[in-house]
Amino acid sequence: MKRFRYARPERLEAALRLLREPGAKALAGGTDLLTELKARTQEPELLVSVQGLQEPGLRGVREDERFVRIGALTTLRELEAHPLVRDKLPILAQAAQTVAMPQIRHVGTVGGNLMQQVRCWYYRHPFVRCWLKGGEECYAEEGLNHRHAIFGTSPCIAVHPSDLAPALIALDAQARVVGPDVEGELALEELYRLPDERSRARTVLGPADLILEILVPKPSEPTRVRGVYLKAMERATWSFAVVSVAARLSFEPGSEGVRARVGDARLVLGGVAGKPWRARDAEAALRGSPLTDEAIERAAEAAVAGAQPRAHNAYKIELTRALVKRALRSLLPP
Amino acid sequence: MAKAVRAEPEPELEVPVPVRGPERGPIKLRVNGEKHELWVEPRRTLLDALRDDLGLTGAKKGCDEGTCGTCTVLLDGKPIYACLRLAIECEGHEITTIEGLAQGGELHPVQRAFIEEDALQCGFCTPGQILSVKALLDENPNPTEEDVRRAVSGNLCRCGAYPHIVRAALRAAKGLAERPGR
Amino acid sequence: MAKVVKVQTEFEGRFYEETIVVEGTEVEPWAPEQPLKLVGRPVPRVDGPEKVTGRARFTHDVRLPGMLHGKILRSPHPHARIKRLDTSKAERLPGVRLVLSHQNAPEIPWFRGQTRLFDTTVRYVGDEVACVVADDEETAEEALRLIEVEYEPLPFVVDPERALEPDAPRVHESQPNNLVNGEPEVYERGDVQQGFAEADVVVEGVFRTQTALHNCLETHGSVAHWDGDSLTIWDSTQHVFGVRFQLARALGLPLHKVRVIKRHMGGGFGSKNQAGKYAAIAALAARMTGRPVKIVLDRFEENLATGNRPATIQTLKLGAKRDGTLTAIFHKSILNAGAYAVWAPSASGPTKRLYACPNVRTEDWAVFTNLGPFSAFRAPGYVEGTFALESMMDELAKALGLDPLELRLKNYAEIDPITNKPYTTKGLRQAYERGAQLIGWAERAHTKRARSKGPKRVGFGLASQIWGGSGGPPAYALVKLNPDGTATVVTGTQDIGTGTRTALAQIAAEALSFPLDAVEVELGDTQWGVYAPLSAGSMTLATVGPAVRAAAEDAKKQLLDVAAQLLELPKEGLRVEDGHIATPKGERLPVAEVLRPLGNFQIVGKGARGPNPDDKNVNTFGAQFAQVEVDVETGEVRVEKIVAVHESGRVVNPLTIRSQLYGGVIMGLGYALLERRLDDPRRGLPVTPTLETYKVLTVADVPEIVAEMVDLPDPEANPIGAKGVGEPPIIPTAAAIANAVADALGVRVYELPLSPDRVLAALRGAQAKKDEEEGEEGEAS
Repeated sequence: MKRFRYARPERLEAALRLLREPGAKALAGGTDLLTELKARTQEPELLVSVQGLQEPGLRGVREDERFVRIGALTTLRELEAHPLVRDKLPILAQAAQTVAMPQIRHVGTVGGNLMQQVRCWYYRHPFVRCWLKGGEECYAEEGLNHRHAIFGTSPCIAVHPSDLAPALIALDAQARVVGPDVEGELALEELYRLPDERSRARTVLGPADLILEILVPKPSEPTRVRGVYLKAMERATWSFAVVSVAARLSFEPGSEGVRARVGDARLVLGGVAGKPWRARDAEAALRGSPLTDEAIERAAEAAVAGAQPRAHNAYKIELTRALVKRALRSLLPP
Repeated sequence: MAKAVRAEPEPELEVPVPVRGPERGPIKLRVNGEKHELWVEPRRTLLDALRDDLGLTGAKKGCDEGTCGTCTVLLDGKPIYACLRLAIECEGHEITTIEGLAQGGELHPVQRAFIEEDALQCGFCTPGQILSVKALLDENPNPTEEDVRRAVSGNLCRCGAYPHIVRAALRAAKGLAERPGR
Repeated sequence: MAKVVKVQTEFEGRFYEETIVVEGTEVEPWAPEQPLKLVGRPVPRVDGPEKVTGRARFTHDVRLPGMLHGKILRSPHPHARIKRLDTSKAERLPGVRLVLSHQNAPEIPWFRGQTRLFDTTVRYVGDEVACVVADDEETAEEALRLIEVEYEPLPFVVDPERALEPDAPRVHESQPNNLVNGEPEVYERGDVQQGFAEADVVVEGVFRTQTALHNCLETHGSVAHWDGDSLTIWDSTQHVFGVRFQLARALGLPLHKVRVIKRHMGGGFGSKNQAGKYAAIAALAARMTGRPVKIVLDRFEENLATGNRPATIQTLKLGAKRDGTLTAIFHKSILNAGAYAVWAPSASGPTKRLYACPNVRTEDWAVFTNLGPFSAFRAPGYVEGTFALESMMDELAKALGLDPLELRLKNYAEIDPITNKPYTTKGLRQAYERGAQLIGWAERAHTKRARSKGPKRVGFGLASQIWGGSGGPPAYALVKLNPDGTATVVTGTQDIGTGTRTALAQIAAEALSFPLDAVEVELGDTQWGVYAPLSAGSMTLATVGPAVRAAAEDAKKQLLDVAAQLLELPKEGLRVEDGHIATPKGERLPVAEVLRPLGNFQIVGKGARGPNPDDKNVNTFGAQFAQVEVDVETGEVRVEKIVAVHESGRVVNPLTIRSQLYGGVIMGLGYALLERRLDDPRRGLPVTPTLETYKVLTVADVPEIVAEMVDLPDPEANPIGAKGVGEPPIIPTAAAIANAVADALGVRVYELPLSPDRVLAALRGAQAKKDEEEGEEGEAS
């Protein structure tokens, strides 16, 4: 770890001012950032701890008329255990439960989870200077890409590792952001970008921008909305997603049981692209039709249409297809 | 709606925020009920502070990157990885290490259960496992086997003591429950 | 009297001709039916309290006044010559005390001269280049980044099959064909060609096993401290006397000036069988700086440079009669040995000896490549070989339409097929029977039908285990009997987490007829301890246990001599009972009381490990059964239950032996399903050197495990009747699971681990074959 200075402001304005200093970096739970500091993939001059901020709304979960509001400093543990999340946003609770293990869930924050860096084994390798680290080439493209992207075009084919992001995008969440580059409410989906020749950044936020809150719209007719988060992992727990699926369907009024007709559909994939991946064709395939076996098959095919497997990750296509089917089947109203 | 804005610089604040480091400086830690003042750089992790500055070597450094669980300690009663936490970030919190568990020479019931069920072999992961179980039982005195598995899922054991660890946790829970005065 | 004899010994599944010293301490073996008080009881681990309180001191925890910290610079290239090395900037960094490299370190040969402590050619990613010694780790790390190295990259090879081609790059200039020892190791009995000609059915397959990493939670490391010309090393090792021997030789020191200490160790699994370079570097650096030096590898280095279970490619061919009788076996194994090797595990071990087959030929090709060197890993060779052999046996059973268990019993070896000697004990038949009962083998067809639904398929499989584990001489022990009726057992073995301290305490207390808490066991120190071999090869208890028992019996005899004289009674009528001297008149006098007149003195009992039987084989056996559920949509394999039944002679401690069984099965389970090091072939670069990328099982992955011993005290093996159990339980696990997966799917995965991508690929392959066949049939009609 390179040496750095450290500050722990109590007021948001002070934090934002400090973060504008060159080489400044925000520190929340630190469970991802510290691994980067140790690997020297990040070498900030100044760490600005946001853990001391007293700003209202930064911690905890509450609701108003329109939204369930989640403070960015809410820990993953608080999130998974919170009654509002459990009752109203089960997709999110399920996703939060699959993140890492208790020790990280007790410390890691919602904001940090959304902003975490990729886990690509080349990026994290001390002997490798890949494109994402400022080097010339992506080592994974022609190398070992078992865990890498099957969707999207970018000079970096690492996948976005967050579990919360697909779940929150499926829930149509927004991020309330403050800072010099972005300020206001931003659809969470719009937060993410694929790195390109112009910028290696994976989000639209600058180093001095902070996520303050996540706003999840409350469904107008909650009884007709069903959702699920499924995650394929290398082992039973404590793994980033090999593939994950966040699915949320609303069913049209008056349609019951096997004849239930899908109104709106959201299908977001994790572990398959450099950002959370909306399976829009699959969503379109589902909208307006009953959730029959055929519809589910069609949606699963649509979800993987256009996938571009590399030498070692074609299995992700089958896995995605299987997971999408399984997710959708589980959403059939009783 | 998102809007990209160039925010005006904030007006100068009245109270400047102290910026510490990068040199060594004083930090205050409370460990196992005792207060300590350390003279360390901000980059010192809690794990290094415990092991090297305070000589509390019960928390181990198995990976130093949050992938093994041997450095598990309790922060305000919750299990965390000491390797992924800056010591300076622990000011104002109560830290419990394995050394703080036995009281007055008397082993904690979880420690006793680990011995009785042989929930260890080499012993390297044991302090972390025990603290994860203790945190669970403090929160949930009647855990199911599934609860136990979840609670220790962040503590690897390469010797494979897992089945005995689960039994030890359940045994400790039972023992605690049967204690008079509970 | 000490006798020097030449014997054939078995270690880690291989036979060696050795000259050993044997001392005939005559001790009557405990008879199988003899009632014992402490041996055979589930005694909790004697070092449990230290371990649960954090008091147990591991090498990582050693801190000495003035101690410096060393960090090693490692090669990022798989093969290169160091053209230029400039350490001057690093040396100028405040806090740096020394930078060691080939420029200033003595030329110490390593891996029997295949390289040096610091070589000018590096042969794998992770090879040692230099070491910075500084006041603290952060400074040492900082300084590493200031060392300038100019490498001239050389052609490299990581694929062992490629390495065998005539035009392949050479890993070592001196070894043109890249073969360890220059040639394959070939074993043959009978006439294999004839055997296959006589077969009614022949099956053949090619199996691949992965490189597996030990990932001991305590990484390798040493602390070195000089006091005048005496060196003390705290080392995380499975062999204190071996480290002493190796370091004394490397540094040119007399043995009595080197002391090696290891009180507790966070796992070894074979990777800590020998001294690592870090130990020699720490010792050199401590001498040069005049201060203690600690070098502890980080997880990344651990996974690059401290060994692995090497990958294999195995071709296996079985021939059998219609009734299942094996007529011939051919087994060729290519092993990726990495850059340096002074021996090589043999995957063909089980093939040679698990079944009675008259015609067997095996070839072991150990190949140098530009990858990290392997080391022993819990039953080296046998885990890999058993996977191939037992998978092939199931394919044979399928081809013959026989029950897999029936086929194995048909070829049961009543005598050892290599030596043609009978076994002292062989509990494999009992293990099969008990295991079959516990898994529900007979009812499995019904269970499969009942439990398979939707995309989930249930399957059952079994596999057998043979291994050494006899132990043998030399090993020594002392039992120091104190006048207050307590005793200290001293021996130079080490407890690597297996419960050696506890078992030896039980044995000593049993032999002395003392209560367990009157006995303390001191291990892991070459200065106080008497010689004992490495803790590996499942041999510690069967080697050191008899020596401890002999020492305790000797001490007891002396105690009775002394007591008889003090009590003025004939010696013959006296006995020791639970820490008391029992007289013929029925009196029970505490030992402390009897010895009181002698004040402060000590009785010293001495014991040595006697020889193994000449005319019999001492082996361990077992069988494991697996029940799995495979998801044919996702390719995920979920193991539902493992039954492990093993025979390793007498059970000394049923509590700690169950921990051993669980541990072996769980490690085998991870090997079967999950663990694999991945190496980028284009760069010779391991990409999974962390515990995030190289995953091992968590508690949540562990299924129901039923573990039992066939408790068969083996008085012919040695006077305590116990054999080793450290390695046996990992041997058949992967094979049993692979067979269960094949049973569930109707198609076999020939490669470990049985990961979802491979399961899906196997299903795809089977589907394609089926379509093709149906297509052909369609055309024919």
